[in-house]
Amino acid sequence: MHMAKNISAPLARTSRLLDLVPFLNTHQGISLKELAERFDVSTTQMSSDLTTLWMCGLPGYTPLELMDLEFESGFVTIRNAPTLSKPRSISFDEGVALLLGLDLLAGSVEQNRQDLITAVENLKQKISKLIDIPVTISASPKSSPAIAAVLNEALAKKSYLSIQYHSLYRDEITDRIIQPLELIDDKDNQYLRAFCFTAGAMRDFRVDRVLTAQISAEKPNTVASGVATKKLQFTIAFKKPSRDVIERFGINHTESSKELLLSAFSQQWIERSVMASGESVELLEPLNIRANVARKAQLILDRYKAN
Amino acid sequence: MHTVSRKIERLINLTIALLATKRYLTKSEIFRTVEGYEGSPETKERMFERDKDDLRTLGIVIEVGSFDPLFNDEAGYRIRSETYQLDLGEISSTEISLLSLAAKAWEGAALADAAQSAILKLNSIGVPADAVALPAISPKLSNSSEELKVITEAIAQSDFLQFSYLSSDLVVADRKVIPFALSTKSGFWYINAVDQDVQEARTFRLDRIQGSIEIKENKEEFDFPIEHGNQGLIVNSSEGVARIDVRKGKAHSLRVFALSTEDLGEWDQITVPINGVEALATQILWHGEDVFVQEPTVLREKVIAQLEALVNAHG
Repeated sequence: MHMAKNISAPLARTSRLLDLVPFLNTHQGISLKELAERFDVSTTQMSSDLTTLWMCGLPGYTPLELMDLEFESGFVTIRNAPTLSKPRSISFDEGVALLLGLDLLAGSVEQNRQDLITAVENLKQKISKLIDIPVTISASPKSSPAIAAVLNEALAKKSYLSIQYHSLYRDEITDRIIQPLELIDDKDNQYLRAFCFTAGAMRDFRVDRVLTAQISAEKPNTVASGVATKKLQFTIAFKKPSRDVIERFGINHTESSKELLLSAFSQQWIERSVMASGESVELLEPLNIRANVARKAQLILDRYKAN
Repeated sequence: MHTVSRKIERLINLTIALLATKRYLTKSEIFRTVEGYEGSPETKERMFERDKDDLRTLGIVIEVGSFDPLFNDEAGYRIRSETYQLDLGEISSTEISLLSLAAKAWEGAALADAAQSAILKLNSIGVPADAVALPAISPKLSNSSEELKVITEAIAQSDFLQFSYLSSDLVVADRKVIPFALSTKSGFWYINAVDQDVQEARTFRLDRIQGSIEIKENKEEFDFPIEHGNQGLIVNSSEGVARIDVRKGKAHSLRVFALSTEDLGEWDQITVPINGVEALATQILWHGEDVFVQEPTVLREKVIAQLEALVNAHG
């Protein structure tokens, strides 16, 4: 199996030219602009690519053997390129990308679409055979396919949604009426930006924390506008640092021997994180949260002593 | 710039000539007929060797053989269309759409370029994708890194991976492993690999690897650990079941793991599998007054000890 390496610019260009021919074969008359976009290069670069390709062909290199490319009109056609007319086999990296993507897809398809589940499974087998890698690479989606389907419908139809949402820090499941506006991808998660009629303000909802979702027909009433959030500062000392604790507070393992000033959006998050860390950390400030931790821990302890 | 274009032209012409031929082409035939080979015999020779390497780097397989072994021992070259061309067999519009959707999962992530070039090839087959609109909420592969390429390469070849890993007690130690599976769950990537020090299968979380990952060739045969089957997923070794009380409407993140639920009025009693007493105790402490452990004793004692430490430190 030959692996793709980090290739030089001339080789990347050769690779692109080889892939251009079969693409043009099945996209006759495509505009130069669209072609450049599909291959993610500038139109100048694409013109230059086509000019180079125009000089290539079978030995002999008379007009009979050269590729017949026409692109002066701004639209591209190709004739007389039978040798390169079929797409090249996929590279290892390409196969891996497709395989992981397919696996993720398999977990996202709704259960009642057995046809699609079977199709995805067949494609996985085909691709893994092509690039000669066992099907031991896998990916599973974060959110339920059934909920994703409802959110999609609401986004497409701009309809109101009635959702149950799990707020992790408050550990509350709240019922809300929202109007989804757009989907935002950040590095780690997908968020639904929506107007929340329950809060009377714009809110971002993490898609994987939406527990149920139903399209709602009636237009809800707007209530008072929400409260702005401000970051809270807190200081902790690490008494018995562990990987679990540094990952919870999002710090580097080299900093774990110090007292650290950190910040968070929610007092509840600070309280819960300190509680969950048990003997590993001590919250130094703010004093009111520190007192809360002591009070709550004592309360729970008393309950265990009684039972 | 001019010479660069000339080189690219020559590479393409060579590919075309080697693909079009029904028999092996000798070097002298190539020099005579393929445009772009100029200069002294040594120069041409060097050019050709470099060109062959370049095409192989692009994943193109050049076959070496001789077309008449009885009379002529001069080596010849050709590219077989079976190895050059994509062969997915019969493929439907729906399948093309599914593959496009699979590639879309990489938008903005590590293998986005590879996914994009795969899609260009698939779109070149000439089977149009279904007109069905792709949903806006399609799954995304998050938190991925360039290291995925190295890892998958090592899996395919059963090569060694070497890296520094942060252990649960914050010790950074060098590991040498043979990976056999890669997976992603809840935004984290995991490698399943045979740790060479202990010769046992272990799971490593990618974001706990410090610095870069190095690949080292493995010349030995490698047998896949059988207990992982062909699924290669993270194996949870369950240490029994815990019985805990959770307040109504609370502790949703524990409830999702419930094996059973009994209604106790203001509270529910649930049973959850224990995958590490420590980890479960942490989750229980996070939920504060809304969770109460009934059994096992070892979990109860762990939680109580942590609560005592909290009171001592903060009281």
